[in-house]
Amino acid sequence: MPRSREPSNRLWTVLAAPGIGWLLLFFLAPLYVVLAIVFGQRDPLFRTAVPVWNPLQWDPTQFTYVLTRIGPGEVYFPALARTVVYVGLASILCLCIAFPVAYYVSRLAGRWQGLLIALLIAPFWISYMMRMLAWVNLLQNDGLVNKILSFGGLFDVNVDWLTGQPVVVVLGLAYGYVPYMVLPLYAGLDRLSQSMLEASRDLGASRVSSFLRVTLPMCRPTMLAAVLLTCLPMLGDYFTNDLLSASPKTAMVGNLINDSVQAPGQTGQAGAFVMLVLVATVLPMIYYVRVTLRGDEVRT
Amino acid sequence: MPVPIGSGPNRRQFLQRAAILAATAPTLGAFLAACSKPAGTQGAGPSLTIAKPDSPVKWPIADDNKPIGDNLPPEKGATLKIYNYADYLSPQAIKGFEDQYGVKIEVSTFNDGDEAITKLRSGVDFDIYNANYTEISRLVTGGLVRPLNHSYIPNITNVWPTFTNPWYDQGWQYTVPYTIYTTGIGWRTDQVPADIGKLSNPYASLWDPTYKDKTAIIDDFHTAMAMVLLKQGITDVNTSSADDLKMVGEQLTALGKATSPKVTITMYSDMPAGQIGLCQMWSGDIINAQSYLPEGVGPEILRYWFPQDGKGLVDNDMLVTLKGGKNPVLAHLFLNHMLDPAVAKENFSAIGYQPPQNSLTAESLVAESFIPENLKNVIVKPEYFDTGYRTLELDTANEDAWRNVWNAFNSGGS
Repeated sequence: MPRSREPSNRLWTVLAAPGIGWLLLFFLAPLYVVLAIVFGQRDPLFRTAVPVWNPLQWDPTQFTYVLTRIGPGEVYFPALARTVVYVGLASILCLCIAFPVAYYVSRLAGRWQGLLIALLIAPFWISYMMRMLAWVNLLQNDGLVNKILSFGGLFDVNVDWLTGQPVVVVLGLAYGYVPYMVLPLYAGLDRLSQSMLEASRDLGASRVSSFLRVTLPMCRPTMLAAVLLTCLPMLGDYFTNDLLSASPKTAMVGNLINDSVQAPGQTGQAGAFVMLVLVATVLPMIYYVRVTLRGDEVRT
Repeated sequence: MPVPIGSGPNRRQFLQRAAILAATAPTLGAFLAACSKPAGTQGAGPSLTIAKPDSPVKWPIADDNKPIGDNLPPEKGATLKIYNYADYLSPQAIKGFEDQYGVKIEVSTFNDGDEAITKLRSGVDFDIYNANYTEISRLVTGGLVRPLNHSYIPNITNVWPTFTNPWYDQGWQYTVPYTIYTTGIGWRTDQVPADIGKLSNPYASLWDPTYKDKTAIIDDFHTAMAMVLLKQGITDVNTSSADDLKMVGEQLTALGKATSPKVTITMYSDMPAGQIGLCQMWSGDIINAQSYLPEGVGPEILRYWFPQDGKGLVDNDMLVTLKGGKNPVLAHLFLNHMLDPAVAKENFSAIGYQPPQNSLTAESLVAESFIPENLKNVIVKPEYFDTGYRTLELDTANEDAWRNVWNAFNSGGS
């Protein structure tokens, strides 16, 4: 069978060329630039990063500087651990919020489906920064949140929401990235095989049992894709922390990158952090690819 | 179980492709190198002369960078391009100049000096740049600034005499002063009832757990760490002593544990909004803060402290003309325009930062109620510049050491 497909395989390769070209130009080449900077030199006068293109001349000083400081008990470890915790919590929170919404819209909305989808896309019309700034306003010491919590002055709620509260950062991340999770979930849930679900009900499963034992396992690749789609950008997020906290107590790896990039002579360190985040994100991606390649679910 | 269409590469194909990739990887590097611009001098390049108050520097003027000639007419119908911080130049001053010379002015902004210098090196045609003396060495050595022709700037006599021969630019060959400011402690009396200025060590109030979650320090490694040094009584705010830096690191960790400060430069709006009650602040910021106060909150709750003997962090910004600019005559005239007393005073009221004008003394500013009584400590006096401490440009190794301490603090130990 494979042999007779040889000619069409060549056609597909040619058709894939633009995609491969895009990948090379906009992903692999910039990645190589980052490596050239991480392992490069610094201009002695202006202390800007000078990339070194030849791998044989690479200087690992800046990379090893960062590498020796990310272990437990070292300087950068708290920020890295914090990032994992915050992103994990925010992703789970996003999933808990987005899944019911996506499930409803894809399966139960009926004629309201179009309107609901439009409403779900609406947050994308407003920039991330504006949405976070709105929260800054609400969370100020004399803002709406404190006013509501104090029941209009009954209790004295003196919570400083915007000074280094991890809860606020996690909720901010969840709030910012929920729209990114709803749409892929919706797309995946929409393609669930209705006949499989009906079959499970016909064979005697209760609604809850059918959901837990048939629907959820079928959704697994979709949920994985949606989580990855939101979790990976969250790992590099620095803006949420800057706006909602601005305190070193809640610094994430994105803030480490941001601080190093802006400091002359430390661009290499920023690149090292970028490589770390990249490695941390490649592993889940490999897992995801393996899961979907091995997929044995039936889709309509 | 359905088999995925198009099975993956078999072992031979995989090895072939890996071999091709390994063979082409170095050429990819050469390809990228060919695409990039030629790199600047590496290794043995020109070294940096660092100016200090006790070792002033007269910068050389390169032969290909002589000042413009005398009595040249201003460029007609031109667009003067100014590169400055945001909100750091009065729109009225700009309009006044535009009307007087019939030109347009375009202001581009930057967030910090390093970003600005990177942009300047990329070959832009800005005419005027708002520089700090910590950059002057790099600007001159890098050939980015144009020397001044003093005949176009007679208004220099209006500013403090020290600026005609500052230690960072003897003979004012490249710079004119723009603003002067101090870095002290600001607070709001409704959140911080204590008079911070009367404490024996006002800087230590930032470590006081009473003010937890209400404090902030300036998001600049040198300014913040210099304050820590001053708190501990060390007056060399450009120290290269490893022990001092280690102590600063420990103090910063203690600061994080005690009051968990924000690290920001927006205290001019955060403090009036009530987010911050006590912070390290620039003198101009507390003046600006008055206009950010919400309805019903008067400016009398704001306070500022700076050592009355001037033994604190003092600073000044400067304006320089850039070599890449296309309107050198207009640039000179604009510098002269900003040194005019009336323009400078109006600029002061717009941006909150004091110009070093002879006519603006502490007495006159308070008498005219230009500065409210509760904020009279923001006024910068000439004597401060004799006794004050300057944060200077650091050499590469020292700056690395400082920044490493700062990064460690910023990454927030738990």
